[in-house]
Amino acid sequence: MEERLYDLIFIARPATPEEEIKKVIHTLETAVAEKGGKIEKTEHWGTRKLAYKVAKHREGIYIYQQVRTNHGELVHELERRLGVQDSVIKYQTVRLDEELKRQKKLSQKREARAARRPRRITQPVPGAEQQASASK
Amino acid sequence: MSEEQKQAQSAPAPAREGGDAPRREGGHSAGPRREGGPGGGRREGGPGGPGGPGGPGGARRGKRQYFRKKKVCKFCVEKMDFIDYKRADILAQFVQERGKILPRRMTGVCARHQRWLGVAIKRARNIALLPFAGSAAGVQAPRAIEAPKG
Repeated sequence: MEERLYDLIFIARPATPEEEIKKVIHTLETAVAEKGGKIEKTEHWGTRKLAYKVAKHREGIYIYQQVRTNHGELVHELERRLGVQDSVIKYQTVRLDEELKRQKKLSQKREARAARRPRRITQPVPGAEQQASASK
Repeated sequence: MSEEQKQAQSAPAPAREGGDAPRREGGHSAGPRREGGPGGGRREGGPGGPGGPGGPGGARRGKRQYFRKKKVCKFCVEKMDFIDYKRADILAQFVQERGKILPRRMTGVCARHQRWLGVAIKRARNIALLPFAGSAAGVQAPRAIEAPKG
């Protein structure tokens, strides 16, 4: 089982008190701990204006978490728990590890290619380069 | 005398436009394939031939002049391999006033990044960071606030 990395964002109603949000986060953390995963980071983005009305609200409290786990069913469980909560109006889980792997591969390829080419000491501007070649 | 020479040099230009009409139907199917560099390069090489190389380049856009943004892909320049759907401020640049995704020929994005951009925009729309329809003006990237938690 390879390690999977997920981005989990959920939006709570704008007037939700702080303890309520903490309770939701705690529920998620419990679920993650049960199934054998790890929450990499939790970010509180605060109240933000929504791009469109969700459940008749124009604003929402955004919470962002990054979860690392070996079990794919954990996501299902997390989303189920979020769906049950009254205060959560929207949630989204995105799987990130494949994309990050690809990004790393691309950046490594790019660095390897750059290292193979003889690096110039000065970085000529394209206009100056043409002038230099024309003068030659 | 110099004016005559200039007129002689610009003679291929009318010939190019003359070649437009019959070539328009034929060039239409090849249009999408000429989107990249060869389209712009051929335009500069136009005066070389009597309307041959210049024809397909102009036939692509019958209505408007082929003024192309010769911009390079913004993501390639910044070497951004991962387009984060959470960065609504970056994504909002590639979205119209009405919320629609801008086509590649407007923004100059390369094909690969345009695909990733579309995916990122749709994810951001799902989580209400970008609108499905409507103005995306004034969106800011979500920033983590130093809220005391626990």
